[in-house]
Amino acid sequence: MSTDQPVHRRRFSGYPLTWRLPIIFWQILFFVGPLLFMVAMSFFLVKNYRMVEAFEFKNWEKMLTRGYFWDSYFLTLILATLSTIVTSLLAFPAAFALAFKVSPSVRRWAIFLLVIPFFTSYLVRIFSWYVILAESGVINAMLATIGLGPYTMLNTKFGTLVGYMTLTLPLVMVLQTFALSNIDRNLVQAAHNLGCSPWRAVYTVIVPLAKTGLIVAALFCFILSFGDFVSPYYLGGSKPPTLPILIIDTTKSGQQWPRAAVVAVMMMVTLITIAFAALSLAYRKRASR
Amino acid sequence: MSVPNNRPLVVFDKVSKRFGEFVAVKALNFSIDAGEFIAIMGPSGCGKTTTLRMLAGLEQPTEGTIRINDQLMNNVKPHERDTPMVWQSLALFPFLNARENVEFGLKMRNQDAATRRAKALDWLERLGVAEFAERNVETLSGGQRQRVALARSLVTEPRMLLLDEPLSALDAHLVIRMQSVLTRLQRELGITFVYVTHSQSEAFAMADRVVIMSNGEIAQTGLPRDIYREPASRFVAEFVGLNNIISGKVIGSTDGIVSVDSPIGRFTVGSVSAAGGQGGSSVYRTGDQVTFVIAADLVEVSRPQPQADNVVVCSLISEEFIGSVVTLFLETSDGTELKVQIQERELETLDHTSGGTFYLSWRQGNAHLLPS
Amino acid sequence: MNWLSWGLRGYTLLLFVFVFAPIFFSVIFSFNSARFPTIPLESFTFHWYQTIWSDPDVWTAVRNSVVVSFCTSIIATFLGFCTAYTDYRYNFRFKGAYLALVLLPPTIPLIIMALAMLAWFSKIGASGQLWSIIIAHSVLTAPFAMAICRLRLNQMDGDLEAAAWNLGASEWRSMREVIVPFCKPAIVSSLFLTAAVSFDEFAISWFVSGLNKTVPVLILEIVQGNIDPQVNAIGTFVFLVSMTLVIIAQLFFTLRHSKVL
Repeated sequence: MSTDQPVHRRRFSGYPLTWRLPIIFWQILFFVGPLLFMVAMSFFLVKNYRMVEAFEFKNWEKMLTRGYFWDSYFLTLILATLSTIVTSLLAFPAAFALAFKVSPSVRRWAIFLLVIPFFTSYLVRIFSWYVILAESGVINAMLATIGLGPYTMLNTKFGTLVGYMTLTLPLVMVLQTFALSNIDRNLVQAAHNLGCSPWRAVYTVIVPLAKTGLIVAALFCFILSFGDFVSPYYLGGSKPPTLPILIIDTTKSGQQWPRAAVVAVMMMVTLITIAFAALSLAYRKRASR
Repeated sequence: MSVPNNRPLVVFDKVSKRFGEFVAVKALNFSIDAGEFIAIMGPSGCGKTTTLRMLAGLEQPTEGTIRINDQLMNNVKPHERDTPMVWQSLALFPFLNARENVEFGLKMRNQDAATRRAKALDWLERLGVAEFAERNVETLSGGQRQRVALARSLVTEPRMLLLDEPLSALDAHLVIRMQSVLTRLQRELGITFVYVTHSQSEAFAMADRVVIMSNGEIAQTGLPRDIYREPASRFVAEFVGLNNIISGKVIGSTDGIVSVDSPIGRFTVGSVSAAGGQGGSSVYRTGDQVTFVIAADLVEVSRPQPQADNVVVCSLISEEFIGSVVTLFLETSDGTELKVQIQERELETLDHTSGGTFYLSWRQGNAHLLPS
Repeated sequence: MNWLSWGLRGYTLLLFVFVFAPIFFSVIFSFNSARFPTIPLESFTFHWYQTIWSDPDVWTAVRNSVVVSFCTSIIATFLGFCTAYTDYRYNFRFKGAYLALVLLPPTIPLIIMALAMLAWFSKIGASGQLWSIIIAHSVLTAPFAMAICRLRLNQMDGDLEAAAWNLGASEWRSMREVIVPFCKPAIVSSLFLTAAVSFDEFAISWFVSGLNKTVPVLILEIVQGNIDPQVNAIGTFVFLVSMTLVIIAQLFFTLRHSKVL
């Protein structure tokens, strides 16, 4: 019988930390750092075109008491909400078709195709829309051949929405398709067997089952639209400017970085609130009856 | 404790392993001799795989010590041990071909390329898969992959091989073939095999000694035959073999023969085990609650009433045909189910399809009293 | 209900047309001689390509973009791989916070990141450099790299790493001999994908680049001026580059056990 005490001490190993630490340092230095500094910057002052570190509420007062800030704020909120609703509704039938009506290989190809534009130049695509939607552009030229138009599509909310959708539609379609594909088909079959009409099945069975995925897709759509400056600027005419355009104008002209920071912080607060609301809705357990 | 002169290769001393609240292994004490083929067997979650993983250093014991060759292994890292393992999933490296897989262990021991190659090919040859040496392991069949995995573990010439349910993914006919490959290899190499399985047939067919585990503890250790014929507990009796377990009260005990009164009749059971095992030394008093076991294949079944003790009257419920052997499920008048295993050709003489009464009987010596 | 399902398919096709129309027209108009691009098309021309070919600003921008994408892809893939492995292998306290720290950047509007980076880099005295773009892009793209590597690790037999230890490989050695080779397709895929994201990103680049313009920043400045079909030519080139990168990335990602590597 051995009487010596077993040694349970683990030798120190640098191995786990090697993989864990790099991203922590990197993100604190270049992600958390900049964001926190931006919040701090919203309290700085600008004197003689130079930023002075301070803790004053001047910028906040200046921005939040101005009508143009709130005009921008609500415009951005409305446009992003509109974009979220329109994109989600337009994407749903297509995602439904991709999830239930086509073969898995077609679905894979469709997703493959939808992923590509997400990683290609958004800027060039918006410029292309600019040309297509213009007064003498492709669409009006086509409509003219059947005696319609010309319609003004640039510098309108319609133009902005087209731009937003260029950015968000592929992503929303992919996320919705994933959400719908993950539904257990047997449940849908069961609903049909129980005499549920296909239309009823969509909103009594399919939508509730895919709820989380659908809400996450909508949330991404909202975040992307809310933060985009290219579409409202080039296709929407930026009058009044949306919040991202306001940030650019304030930053680029007159070095008013602290005021831009106020706008950015307001955007972050809004997004965090909406994200929390959306996610708690998405993951809320169904009330037991 | 066991074999004091000949030092065992592996000693587990009060080894416990907890994962948070869950106790996987409880104060395990046992040893493995050099050159032994030992099987650790039990239902899933009994701690058998954890025990094996502790041997390989993949888990650290929470308490207690593990010694290999008298050397404390608790803090020895997996790669510093020489305890290769054959995994249930085989865990072949999919980006390497068969030969490169086999060479892996040698490469980690910094052997030169030529030696590695020669040894790897040698082992692939030995296991009959040399022709697939340059093939992607993904393209090999289950049996071929199995052999590559074995070659990979044995190429470093270890003193002990760990096997974690290696045959569970194979077709039945391949299992039988691999069993003979394994036993032959173990005998030829003379090294220790520690074989974890939930399969009784694998354990009993190959192992010199079997350890039955249940809920993190050893339920019984012994030769396959002893475990099969003389289970040490109700758990073992239910887990191993096909046993009828009958409980009752002692109504008398003379000369090592115990009379038991059970709901289905009165029986006599020998209280001294033939092998001198665990059941032997107990003293039974009248009124004690006892349980005895009679294996299904030791029960005789007949249509005319036999002139014997230990007879039960039953009706046939169903039969399960496995091949040369048939299991009959019968029921007594009070609803107790009993199982009988007989040769298929005996079935005809029974005229079993016509219903009616069957008589089950067994020799007193074949029944085995469980230690209380 | 057959007409319904065909209707759905037709509708889906329509959305694909919407998604790809701008790319399609951009390519078409890049070969069209008209100063204002519309239909009917005028004559076929390479004029716009010749214009950008002979423009030194374009060349500088391409060089900058290549440098940024290349460095970003390496840093982001390294960071993403480390994180994916940590998530795969370890459980520790605050792991949720750890993962949030890594995965959050893409959910923050680029314009906000751009402002924050601009302010931070000028605070630490590093603004207007190419490597400020590289750093910012690495933060942005590391989560993509992490996701790709993590998905690959999910496909790995859970015993593979332990099997390597069991055969005598130390943790470091098994990383080199088993984990990295297994993840190779994902790592290559991640290099290409993060390069593609970096190659197209304009908001942060525009804010922090100073005088070192990348291709998207150049496009942004041309577009701000006037309608210039040059953009279609540069745009076609940019599409070609990023699509190639993305398609290569997807091919590697779907290759299960690539022996070609």
